[in-house]
Amino acid sequence: MKAVVRFAFQLGAKIVLNADFVVDKAGRYFLLSEALQKVARKDFYYVGTYLGKVKNGKFFPSFNLLAMLARGEANKIVVEKKAAWLFICGRDVFRKGVMAVRGSRKKGDHTLVLNEFGECLGFGKIIGSLDEAAKRSELVVRNVSDIGDFLRRES
Amino acid sequence: MSGKEFFVDRYRQLGWEFADVQPRQAIRINSVNSKGKNLEERLRAIGVTLEKIPFLETGYWVRSSKVSVGATAEYLLGLYSIQEAAAQIPATLFSGLRGKTVLDACAAPGGKTLQLADLMGNTGVLVALDVKKGRLVALSNHLERCHVSNAVVYGMDARQVSRLKLKFDGILLDVPCSGNFVGERDWFKRRTLADVRRNAKLQREILTEAVECLRDDGELVYSTCSLEPEENEVNMDWAVKHLGLQIEEVDCYGKKGLTAVFGSQLDVTVERCRRIWPGETQGFFVCKLKKAVNTQ
Repeated sequence: MKAVVRFAFQLGAKIVLNADFVVDKAGRYFLLSEALQKVARKDFYYVGTYLGKVKNGKFFPSFNLLAMLARGEANKIVVEKKAAWLFICGRDVFRKGVMAVRGSRKKGDHTLVLNEFGECLGFGKIIGSLDEAAKRSELVVRNVSDIGDFLRRES
Repeated sequence: MSGKEFFVDRYRQLGWEFADVQPRQAIRINSVNSKGKNLEERLRAIGVTLEKIPFLETGYWVRSSKVSVGATAEYLLGLYSIQEAAAQIPATLFSGLRGKTVLDACAAPGGKTLQLADLMGNTGVLVALDVKKGRLVALSNHLERCHVSNAVVYGMDARQVSRLKLKFDGILLDVPCSGNFVGERDWFKRRTLADVRRNAKLQREILTEAVECLRDDGELVYSTCSLEPEENEVNMDWAVKHLGLQIEEVDCYGKKGLTAVFGSQLDVTVERCRRIWPGETQGFFVCKLKKAVNTQ
């Protein structure tokens, strides 16, 4: 559970999880509802809200967790339509695609990437200047994970 | 007892003249996730035009599309799912699912599981089982994509569900079946009457176990995408006579269930089932059952 909290912190977000409702199943973390907590057996394959997994000591967040964090205070950039599409195709974000910035602009920090509707498409690492005066052609956020992953998992 | 001629002749005896059909692609809007998002307009903006399916509340035909509907941001965000039109019917036959305990006994790859979760408004408990553990990965990916939070998935044979020691308000048995020629290439070459009979036996075993876990006032929906009466009307007739179930009236798309099958007369209430011959949709069969009320 620490991995989840630590990851949220990297995004400038805080998450409060009741340990009684979080299950660690071989490194995969799930958040259970009260109703599920009463009936779920230990031999489940999937339960409740998948939060992410720890593999080789590194935490890989689920898109459910990213969406949860996006609803609260966190580092976020909002990108325009074309940049949003390129992002879910696995591409990085150019300054010209960024419509708004909330939270950290510091290089090296992580930030959520939202589309024009405020929906979370994934997250990335800030690698360039997010200031408005920055060059429009500058790469500013490196794609770390995006929802296009659902398609990549199928192939 | 196999081959196209054999099966086509059976369908003729049952009152349907064989026709090669191409079912239309359909999607189902996930109500919980797409609330207030004007999804139809968003899809139109990227070149996807939809047409409401008259017999479904949240189902749409894809009239035309410039993009793959399985690769849009809206799909990946879980705002809609790709689900064949007839396959959208079974989950809608339950009455009031919010806060209930529901079983999807043969769940993978999860189209109906997602629909049940949506109809439950992500409340209550949705237990999803599938015997093929390899298929649980796809199911889990769909649950994550659609932000389902009320489901628990087990790699389990539906014939062992009583081991969970739960009683369910609703049970969906979209049982393994012989399928039909619309959804499967070379179906006529690959299927025999022996396959149909083997599936019918398995379906009865699943039904028998499911009834053990159904609350006295619970609802059970049985469905297949088979056209073969042994897996459909004949099994429902058997369930009425051997499992103490009664068939409920339903108001949905499809023709009345057959009560005369190859010379056998079935229980008259079997006509309350719905049989869908291939056309705009694939072939399908659905029936809603409850435990019979003892009037004595």
